[in-house]
Parts: sequence; C-alpha cells; structure tokens
Amino acid sequence: MSRTKRVVAAAAVAFLAVGVTACGGNKDNSASGSKGAVIVGTIDSVSSLDPAGAYDYGSWEVIDSVYQKVMRFPTGGTKPEPDAAKSCAFTDPKTYACTLQSGLQFSNGDKLTSASVKFSFDRMLKIADPNGPSSLFGTLESTEAKGADQVIFHLKSADSTFPSVLATDAGAIVDEKTFPADKLLAGTKVIGSGPYTLDKYTAKQQASFKVNAKYSGPVKAQNSQFVLQYFAEASALKAAVKDGTVNAAFRTLSPTDTADLKKTQGVKVVEGTGTEKRYFVFHAKVKPSDQKAVRQAVAQVIDREGIAKDAYNGTVAPLYSMVGNGIDGHTDAFKDKYGAPDKAKAAAILQAAGITAPVALSYTWTPSHYGAAAADEATAIKRQLDASGLFNVKLSSTEWQQYQKDEKAGSYASYMIGWFPDLPDADNDVSPFLSKSPFLGTGYDNPAIQALLVKEQGSNDPKVRNEAFAEIQKIVAEDAPIIPVWQGKQTAVVRDGVTGVDKALDPTMFRFYELSTGK
Amino acid sequence: MAQTTLPAPLDPEITPRAPGPGKSVRFGGLRRIVIAVRQAHGVPKFMLWTGAILSLLFVLTAIFAPLIAPYDFDTYQSGGKTFPKQGAPDGDHWFGTTVQSLDVVSRTVYGARTALEVMVLAVVFSLILGVLLGLLAGYFGGWLDRILVLVMDALFAFPYLLLAIVAGFVFASITGGGVVTAALSITVVYIPQYFRVVRASALSAREATFVEAARAMGAKPSVVIRKYLFGNVIQSVPVIGTMNAADAIGTLAGLGFLGLGIQPTDAAEWGYDLDRAISDVNAGMWWTCLYPSIAMVIAILGFTLLGEGLNDVLNPTMRRRRITKVALPALSRRRVVTAETAKTAATAESAAIAATAATAEEGEAAK
Amino acid sequence: MSKQSGSLRRYILTRIALAIPMVLILLVLVFVLMRVAPGDPISASQGGKLNAAELAARRHAAGFDAPMYQQFWDYLKSVVTLNFGTTFSDHRQVRDIIIENGGATLTLTFGALVFASVIGIPVGLLAGRLRDSTIDVAGRLFGILSYAVPVIVAAPMLMLAFGATSGQASPLVQLNVPTQTHILIVDAMIVGDWDAVGDIANHLVLPSIALGLLIVGVFIRMIRINLIQSLQGDYIEAARARGVKETAVVGRHAFRNAMVPVITVLGLQVAMLLSGAVLTERIFTWPGIGRQLIDYINQRDYVAVQGIVTVFALVVVVISMLIDFINALIDPRVRY
Repeated sequence: MSRTKRVVAAAAVAFLAVGVTACGGNKDNSASGSKGAVIVGTIDSVSSLDPAGAYDYGSWEVIDSVYQKVMRFPTGGTKPEPDAAKSCAFTDPKTYACTLQSGLQFSNGDKLTSASVKFSFDRMLKIADPNGPSSLFGTLESTEAKGADQVIFHLKSADSTFPSVLATDAGAIVDEKTFPADKLLAGTKVIGSGPYTLDKYTAKQQASFKVNAKYSGPVKAQNSQFVLQYFAEASALKAAVKDGTVNAAFRTLSPTDTADLKKTQGVKVVEGTGTEKRYFVFHAKVKPSDQKAVRQAVAQVIDREGIAKDAYNGTVAPLYSMVGNGIDGHTDAFKDKYGAPDKAKAAAILQAAGITAPVALSYTWTPSHYGAAAADEATAIKRQLDASGLFNVKLSSTEWQQYQKDEKAGSYASYMIGWFPDLPDADNDVSPFLSKSPFLGTGYDNPAIQALLVKEQGSNDPKVRNEAFAEIQKIVAEDAPIIPVWQGKQTAVVRDGVTGVDKALDPTMFRFYELSTGK
Repeated sequence: MAQTTLPAPLDPEITPRAPGPGKSVRFGGLRRIVIAVRQAHGVPKFMLWTGAILSLLFVLTAIFAPLIAPYDFDTYQSGGKTFPKQGAPDGDHWFGTTVQSLDVVSRTVYGARTALEVMVLAVVFSLILGVLLGLLAGYFGGWLDRILVLVMDALFAFPYLLLAIVAGFVFASITGGGVVTAALSITVVYIPQYFRVVRASALSAREATFVEAARAMGAKPSVVIRKYLFGNVIQSVPVIGTMNAADAIGTLAGLGFLGLGIQPTDAAEWGYDLDRAISDVNAGMWWTCLYPSIAMVIAILGFTLLGEGLNDVLNPTMRRRRITKVALPALSRRRVVTAETAKTAATAESAAIAATAATAEEGEAAK
Repeated sequence: MSKQSGSLRRYILTRIALAIPMVLILLVLVFVLMRVAPGDPISASQGGKLNAAELAARRHAAGFDAPMYQQFWDYLKSVVTLNFGTTFSDHRQVRDIIIENGGATLTLTFGALVFASVIGIPVGLLAGRLRDSTIDVAGRLFGILSYAVPVIVAAPMLMLAFGATSGQASPLVQLNVPTQTHILIVDAMIVGDWDAVGDIANHLVLPSIALGLLIVGVFIRMIRINLIQSLQGDYIEAARARGVKETAVVGRHAFRNAMVPVITVLGLQVAMLLSGAVLTERIFTWPGIGRQLIDYINQRDYVAVQGIVTVFALVVVVISMLIDFINALIDPRVRY
C-alpha cells in the first residue's frame, strides 16, 4: 500500500466513523433534555444590542429582556405602566415628569439613577444612528435629571403618545459607565438592568439569557434561562421544533409549515393577535387610481377572507380599518361602508362615475421584503379583481430597493405595503400614512385628516382621541386611498410541556419570561 | 460544472486548408466538427446521442410548452373551480399542485421554456461579447490585451454565483426584471471563458503562416480577423457553448432559488419553484420538488453529455491508441511511435484539463 | 542547491508581483459593482418606515453620499488592515464574521472534500485502470450525472430521503461547548464532549454530500485521466519490461504520479467549493460565510458584501498562488 493510499483509506475510515457515531449519539441533545433553559427558535435577526442603534423587532426582543425602561407595556396590555419609574405624569401637555424607583442597579452593580436615564436619551438622540430609533423621539426637546430620582422630559409639542413611546424598547436605559456617550457600544458585552443578562451571544446563531439577580421590577420570570436560537430559514426553524431541538418557535413560520405542525404530535400551535398589517395602496395621482370610483370599486370587490385563506392558510385575519384590530379606537370602517364583497355594487360605482369596465390597473409587489407569501397575495388579488370582470390587473414585481424608491416617487398606480407599528397606539397606525409627509407614496393629501391628527396628538383624553380616530377611519373608507387587507396573527409553536405561551404571545412584544419547561 | 475540456488549440498546419477562397474557410472548423461527429464510436458516440436526445427533448418541450402543458403556468382554476392548494398528484393533476394552487405539470413544462429562453440569450450574448473581445485582444495584443486580460482574470477570480447576483441587481435597475435581466447576469459570468479560449487560439493562429502571409500581402486587420482568425477560433465554441448552456440552466435556477431570478408572476422558473418546495419537503409533500428537479437534471444532463461527447470526439487525444500488444521486434519501432503519440496526447489533454480546472470553479458554484 | 532555491525564490516573488495588479483590479471591480447595484442598507431596512426626506438625511449621516474616491480609500484601508470594514446593518467587523462563521464553512467544505475523495478516488482509479470496461463507463457516467444534479436539487432530494436536518448542531451543543477555535466540531473535541461531536457530525453528513456531489465528478475525471496518462508513461513500460508485477506497477508507480495533478485540482476545488457553499448553506441553514453573504446582500449592506466578497476573492487568488508554488517545488520545470 502506498503512502497516499493509506492516507485516503484513513480519511475514509474517519468519515465513516464519524457517520456511525452520528447515528448513535444524537439522543441527549434534544432540548427536552435541558435543565430549566427554554430554547426558542426564531428567524428574526439582531441589528444591534445597543438600544441607540436598534429599531427592529429582532433587536428589541433582546433589548426587552436585557434592559429596563422608564415605562413598559404590561403583559397583555397596551396602556403603559411604570417600569424603572415609580410614577409618571404630564405636568403640562409639553412636560412629562417621572420619579424613579429607589435602589435600582445594573447587572454589573452600577446604580441606575436619573443621570442614567438622561444619559440614555441624550446619547440616543446625539448618535442618531441611521438604523436607530431616534426618529421615534421626534417630539423630545430635552431630558432633565433633577436629583437622583427625578426625570423630566421636555417636549417640542404636545404629544399624547409620548408615554407609549417611552415604553417601547427605544427607551431602554443603559449604564452610563459602560456605554460611550457619542457612539454605539462595540462588542457584545452589554449591561442593562432588565430581568435577564445576556450570558453568551454569537451573532446570527445564538443568544443565551440568564436571570439577572440584581433586577427589581414588575417582571416575574418563569424560567432561569432562555436561549434564542437564530435560524436563517423558516423551514429549518420548523424542522427544529418538530424534532425537538428547540422548545418553541416564534416568528415566523410559513403558512405551509404552520399547517403541517398543527397535524404534528407533540407540538402545539398557538395563535394570538399580531401587529403586522398589509395594505393595498393607491397612488392618487396616477391613472387610473386618481379616480375615487376606481379605488372604491376595488375596495368593494376585494375579498379579505379569500386572501387570508388562499395566500396565508388562515394565518392572518381580515383587516377593515387603518387602525389595527384590538387597538383602542379601532372601528371596522371599511366593513361598515362596503359590507361583503359585491361585484354588482362595484359595477354600479364605476358606472355612476362614467367609467367603462374593465379598468386596466397595474399592481406592483416586491418579492424581497414581505416574504415568499407576498407572491401568493399578489396573485390572489389579481385573481379576485380579474374575476369581478371589472378590472384587468397587470401584475409586476420589483426588487425592494427599487420598489420603495418607485413607490415613494409615485411610479405605481397601486402596490402592496406592509406595516409594523412601533407602539400599540392608534396614532401609530394612521399618522405615518396620512400625515403631510407620509413614509409611502400615496398622492393623497387631506387637510381634514391632518387637522384631526393634530387634535388627537394634542389630547390625553381617550374620548376626544377616539372620536378623532373614528372620523379619520371613516374618511379613509370613503376616499379609499389605502385599503387595509389583513392583520397578521402571531403564531408560536411550542413542544408539549412548555407552559406560559398564551401569556408570552403578546402583540406588543413576545414575553420570553413567561415561558417555562416546568423543570 | 464546466468540465469543459477545451479542445486543444488547433494546429493550423493540418486543419483549415489554409487561405482557401470564399466563405468556406470561415466555417472550415465547423465542417471538421461534423466530420468528427460522424466518425464517433463507442462511449463518445453514446454520450453524443443520449445528450442530443435529452437536449432535443428539452428543447421540444420548451417550444411546444403550450401544446404539452394542460394549463398555462399561472392557471389556478379551470371551469370555475379553483385547483386545490398543495394537492397530491391525482387524475386531474398528474404531478399535483403547488402552494399557489398551480398545476405542477404545467409549471414544469413552462419552466423548460423559461430555461431555454434564458439559456439561448445568455449563450448568444456571451458568445458575441466573448468572441469579439477575445479576437480583438488576441489579434491586436498590446495594452488593450493586457487590460482585458487583467479584467477578465479578475472576473474569473470573483466568486461566481455572487457575480451573477450582483450583475442581476445592476441590470434589474436598467432593464427591469425578467428573462433578459437573468440572461444578462449569467452572460457576465461566461464572457471570461470565451474570452480566454478565443484569445488563446487567436494568438496561436495569428502566428500561423497563412495569416502572416495574408498580413504580409497587406490584408486589413478586419479582413484578417474575419477571414482567417474567426474560422479558426470558431471551432472551440460548440463545446464551450454546450457546456455553458448546461451551466446557464443551473445558474438561472440558483438565482431563482435565492429569490433573485425570474419572479413567479412573470414566468415559470424551476429554481423558484424549488425554493418554494423546500417548505413542502419538510411537510412531507414530495411532488412540488421532485418534478422540477427531474426536469432540471434532464436538461442539464442532456447538454452536459452533448458537450462531453463533442469534446471526446473533437479532442483526438481522447482516442485510445489501438495498438497495445507488442511481441515482434519488427514492430517495435512502430510501437515506440504510438507510445510517444499517446503520451503527448495525454499530456495535451491534462494540460487542457488544468486550464479547465480553473473554469470549473465557475460552473460548479452555480449549482 | 543554492542556485535552485534562488530560482524558486525568484519564481515566487515574480508570481506575487504578478498577482498584485490582479488583486487591485479585483478590488476596483468589487467596489464598483457594489456601487452600481441600486439601493443602500438604510432604505433596505427603513424604507418601509420612513419617508424620502428622512431616508436621505440618514443616508447622509451614514456617509453614503460621500465622494467615491473617499469611499474607495476607506475600502482600501480596510483591506490593507485586514479588518475589511464594519457592517452597517448589524455593526459587526467583517473580520469577525470571517472568524465566527468561517469555521462552519470550513467544516462543510472539508466534509464535502472528504465525501468527494471517498467516492471519487476509488472510482476514478478503477475507471482509469480498467479503461473502457463497464466500470469505467459507469464511473464516468456517474461523474457526469453528479454534476448534472445541482445542489438545489440534491439537497431537497436528500432531505426527502433522509428527513430534514438543519443548522450546524443542536442549540444545546452550541450553548454548552465553549468557543475556542470557532470550529464547533473542533471545540467539542477539545473539551472531549463526544456526544456533541456526534451531534455535529450527524448534522454535517447531508450538507457534505450535497456539496460533495458537486465535485465528485471532477475528482473521478481527473484521477481517471491522470492514471491513464501515467500508465502510458515510459517508466511504466520500463517497469513492466523489468518484470515488475502489475499490481506494483499500478500501485507504486502510476498511482503516485497520478495523484500529483490531483492535488492541484483539489486546491482549485477548495476555492470553488467556498462559493458553491452559498446555496448549500442556505438550504441547510448552515451558519457559514455564504449564508451571511446572502443575508447581507438582501440587506444591501455594501460594506459587509464588499468585505466578504473581497475575502472570497483573495482566498481564490492566494490558493491558486500556493498551488503554483507547490508545483514549482515539485516540478522545477515550472519555474522557467
């Protein structure tokens, strides 16, 4: 035997040996064998562990566990409650004053004082990271620390949503001795005062959280350790929850995967209200969308139940208003105006406006931002509109970068847009779309709506605000510049034996601390 | 895959019978191919024929897709009844239906059409550009040659799939999505291949006696290139062309798989369908993934076999020496000669392969 | 001796000098392509939330509208200092990505090479030795078939046949094995956690096969041809004439000489595998560099893509250089 041959033979043996071990040695590594740690799989990704650079759900999942905020949303609630604060109140419409709890500490033992809060907000606004959340605090003029426990927020203009904004993870409080004042913290050794500490972090692979012994706050953690396992593809996440290498899967499984898991033994699929929404948007300056009757006819024909079923296997719920289901101030405005999908009514609307059917309408969607099912949604919309005999829809797709540019520039007659609100407040569902400079291209500028927006933002009275929202929703249903299509359901999948998922599945933020494997 | 063993540069002494009159010269190389193909026997013949049949099957399916497929690629209903979503194969839908309630038979058949369109465009584009640049660089030499070689070498070292992806982005913003964009992004990847081969044969042909003679007699560069170099160079093209055709199918599917190719509302595309089928595979639905896979393998296999066969036939070094046994001293002289030729032949082949090994990094990655 | 080493040194230096303009052109290409491609990371991540004016302000703050020469200069600096820049979308140094995710890619590539060798070398040798026999024809056809099956076909088929596996290893393995080399299987071996090694290996098998199929055909072909070639060599004839046994002729003489060019090809395959790994990693959610690359492309993270591509390209250039050096070492003729 020559030397080379021997090497080859050895390699072959090694490979086979590894293969054989592989078949036998897998038993003890399923998540069920773990001691107390809950492993949650997700396909979210983290853009920053430093709150000043984080403005996305994946990062906020981490930040929510590691940091405290002045205010927070309680499990299952949309009204902010004190977190690091003892109490907070508007002393006047432009001043919001908070008193902090005493004896708060960061996980490294540093004290959390009013200076820490001022530092956190000042640096976030100063850094104004391009991927950061500073734009949420557009109304914050300055932060003042008075004594060790008084924090006063001075606002540029009246903003009734400010307490809610404080309660988002953009308001996370960081340790002024660890974090640099003018740039993001480099590395992964982040320090907060939240219910957990970040114990081990491998970017895009794994984050392990252990309960923070120094934490004092309203959260009662049901587990001593949880692990976020990051997957790149939903199919892999699904396989992992199916074979038990993770205890739970959250965000985001494909409709096919969810349907299959519902039939799988040993796992439970739990659904809750989600916040993601999808809209059919017109550009009111592009033909034929410039005609109100065309927009109304689409609103009259579109079958939301059908889209939810055909494109999403029922993993989304029909949405009949700009304001999300379950948000204070929501009314089913589109349902009230249009009722069930009706070809005849739509035909009458077009006829009354002197438009001859079928109307040629182009609809654009993007394959690279809203997941694979967006293709199915676009297809379903085309099929519905074409089937009415009133429209002749031409579908086209554009890659996201170009898409969002074109859409803003008014190149599309109608297109698909999605929205994740930052906070559970009706204002956050309407003003970004309907203000004078909306984030998307609508060509729709309605002073009446803008006046109503100013009114609701300036008031802390729920009644006044809800009246304004109801009026806005009604106008939108009438003019139909944007047609709400669906609101996501959040789906979590848990292995048998994992408890607390009903509470954890909170539309505001997934509450990892509620999960337990009972060990 | 790019097994493309390039045919060894032709010896101008033996092949195109020098500056014969008229057009026949230009395509003399092609005639040589035809002759070689006719003479094929054994394994190469088998590969040629199997490859040709499979490729023909693919091309015919693509051309006659509307006649073969029961439905259009985006038909989701028939007679007012919507197709089942992810329905298992049955009498109505032989290959089942997809997550978008589309008929898998129709998607697969129309997928061939898309693949053919992109393939033909990609091969033609890269052929034109690659041959042109290669001829210019090879004939003129100098700084133009040096710069082109550097750029092409750099493109060569570029991770292959990524080049296609980035090119796809760039072209999508200029020409919009669709078949042409996909073809253009694949083209960029293949130009260096043609360039290298053509430049090499142009270089060697330039030194050939008949070309020098032509130049000495005052023929213009354009005439020399057109009349003498082109014919010589063109013979190396069929093999690379066939292999690239096979590659293009794989690359297109790779792009589609990554969601960067042709979108499902524009045309049926195998790679995209496979991407969507991964979810189905995990849910135990095998039909959405199996049939496009088979179709793709048949198409790629067809062109690969064709290319391999052509290569075997055109590359005489692959031919086995016939005389192996030598007993009589009287024949020993002859034997030495054969052994010698066989050896040079094998060396030539391995050199060709070493050259291709670099090419290999292209094609394979596409998969 | 001294003269020989001198010419070797000269050869190596010349080779490096020739590589420099090529690398420069490569850098320019990478840079230009990334700038020509439409889009930027800010509109990629925030385009669905902010209006055009706010987006433009953020682009300006991030320096995306800085003059090209300045951006190129920064890029060059990052390459020379070998940190390759910091990603925009998640603030990682590209160097860290290479270190943290490179291990997974290396493991996968190695697995694929092992698979390709285990199948390709014996088949290639048999085919070459028994030329034109049934085995030869079958081996060659298998080779052709194996590269007619793209990864995106092979992988789902393997998943269908053997059940889906995903990820580099079970989360608990990743959690409990202390990170030292960033190559998980090696880390597990260091701490002697053989259950973990088994788990990792288990996850490695299917992706390795899917990726290995890509090159097994090339292996078969190369080995077959080289064996045929060396069997035709004069020294083989001489050995036979001397009455050396046929097994010894093949094993001792032909095989060794047939393997030398194979090493060259193997080197080139490593470079090719690195880019071929992109699709494999995506299908099997393998946490390697290829998967990161696709992620960053989707996020339009110039710096990240630019950095990773640069590293890939440099790896290809360096490997081809190393192969040349090895060849020069083995075969002095190359040096001239």
